[in-house]
Amino acid sequence: MLRGMWCVRYNGAVLLAFVTVVLAAGPLAPLAAQEPDSARIERLERQIEAITRQLEALQLGEDIVTVADTGVYGFAPGASKVYRVRRGVSIGGYGEVLFEGFAAERQDGSVANVPSQLDALRAILYVGYKFSDRILFNSEIEVEHASTEQAGEVSLEFGYVDYFFSDGVGARAGMLLVPMGFVNEQHEPTTFVGTERPVTEQRIIPSTWRENGLGVFGSVGNLSARAYVLNGFDGIGGGTSGAGGFSSSGLRGGRQKGSKAMAEDFAGVVRVDYDGIPGAALGTSFYYGQSGQSGRSATDPSTTIGGGTLIWEGHVEYRAHGFDARGLFALATVDDVAEINEVKGLTGSASVGERLIGWYGQLGYDALWRTASRHQLIPYLRYEAIDTQNRVPAGYAANPANDGTILTLGVAWKPLPQLVAKTDYGIFRNGADTGLNQLNIAIGYLF
Amino acid sequence: MAALAAVATPSAAQLRLTQDEALRLAFPPPLSIERRTAFLETEELARARGLAGQDAEIERSVVTYYVGVDSGRVGGYAYFDAHVVRTLAEVLMIVVTPEGAVSRIEVLRFSEPPEYRAPEGWLATFGDHTLTDALSLKGSIINMTGATLTSRAVTRAVRRVLALHQIVREREEP
Repeated sequence: MLRGMWCVRYNGAVLLAFVTVVLAAGPLAPLAAQEPDSARIERLERQIEAITRQLEALQLGEDIVTVADTGVYGFAPGASKVYRVRRGVSIGGYGEVLFEGFAAERQDGSVANVPSQLDALRAILYVGYKFSDRILFNSEIEVEHASTEQAGEVSLEFGYVDYFFSDGVGARAGMLLVPMGFVNEQHEPTTFVGTERPVTEQRIIPSTWRENGLGVFGSVGNLSARAYVLNGFDGIGGGTSGAGGFSSSGLRGGRQKGSKAMAEDFAGVVRVDYDGIPGAALGTSFYYGQSGQSGRSATDPSTTIGGGTLIWEGHVEYRAHGFDARGLFALATVDDVAEINEVKGLTGSASVGERLIGWYGQLGYDALWRTASRHQLIPYLRYEAIDTQNRVPAGYAANPANDGTILTLGVAWKPLPQLVAKTDYGIFRNGADTGLNQLNIAIGYLF
Repeated sequence: MAALAAVATPSAAQLRLTQDEALRLAFPPPLSIERRTAFLETEELARARGLAGQDAEIERSVVTYYVGVDSGRVGGYAYFDAHVVRTLAEVLMIVVTPEGAVSRIEVLRFSEPPEYRAPEGWLATFGDHTLTDALSLKGSIINMTGATLTSRAVTRAVRRVLALHQIVREREEP
């Protein structure tokens, strides 16, 4: 009974309190909820402002969008300008697959008997890392011909660190691409017409040509330049890098590729480009260095072979209104070739060239330029002449097979800027009448 | 793309200007800068997409822009556009006259290798362009040699901004 009476009293007290609260709040509740419209609008505007600022920071980057002093809007002043350095890894790459079909007969009518070939020519991975806004790392790793168990190889094509002194001006060190010509620094299949690189840019500017070194780069207005010091060629061959040395067909064998490169001799290279004409670019580069790497003369071991190597090239490019045109001229000279020949055991027409000359011009036009299509269909032609033994030492002879021309006719289709399918037919002629025509088909990608 | 680092190698990110610095370049004193935001309706967004064209995708319906004002007179409109060039980001400020023509473009961030960044001279060729078919790489905008992807990215961004500006102006004018 007592419990029951207590419950009634307790429950009654609660009920009374509840009723009291309701009665007290009743007339006040609508007043509390009735924020003036103007104040409410102002509050909502501040919230929207804050949200849109945060949205903008997300879109543009928090180091670009400074947090405004929001005291004007009634919030506590931020007064902070946060500079957040973005760091991270980035990845890109490219690749090509190439079919080469050779003619049955050579230029002189003799049977060629060269089998056709379908090759996963190269697959490249770019990996870079940004340490800060001033310092970054870039690298390129290449797999050629699919497998090292077959005819392939895996190489570090470049790997360097950049330091930016200011916008667009900096220094770099590591394994560098030699800044000469078009193809050596820019060899993704979507960036040039033709299934294969010009021969001049394989034998005289021996793409892909990379060596260890350091240098500076920068641009002022429409001029850009870079200047590097690198380990030189191994023109003789047989050194620690495994380079084979120069040959009658050009300088390609002298590349050390940054692999235990002999560094007895160094080289310098300078390149300048001008792009002040809309759609056009022109430039030149100059390389000089000793290539003997302290090799000894075969006839006088007390004499070191210098092998001074000079390469000069000039190039021009025009890409506008559907046209894609390029021209390049390259001249190289090598000193002490007779001594190099002696050490390498080269005689007669197998001599390394003392002077090498090559040039090419190419022209393509996007047949879909005037249409609304996003595809590109580019018929093109390239004419090239190269002579890797334009001059040889006395007592040696030039092999006429190393003096030739190539006329290439083809078409490229790019459904996207990063994809290309190309086919072309190359007509090879040389002084020995051993030229062998070939039909090539290639696909390439870039990401 | 001309290559210090061989075609579109990654990671050369550079912050060149903050938003405040860019706006001060666009609207120096005595202009004051007003920040405004337009929340586009579905129809407005569709119309902006149509104006910009198939290539210049517009994904945002919240458009924040900045107006330079002097004594009540509008000096220009500044829009900021962030987009990917190849795999990395670029941020542009595109300044538009009240009549809807491009008056200035500034690069705030360019994360691809610096040799692919659009030079000032090339950006200046967008000056006085309005949103017409000629505003394209197949029209009066000449592609940068060695920087095709940058050329495309910038051209698309300009078309995108001019399309949004047209909608914004229609909303502001009674």
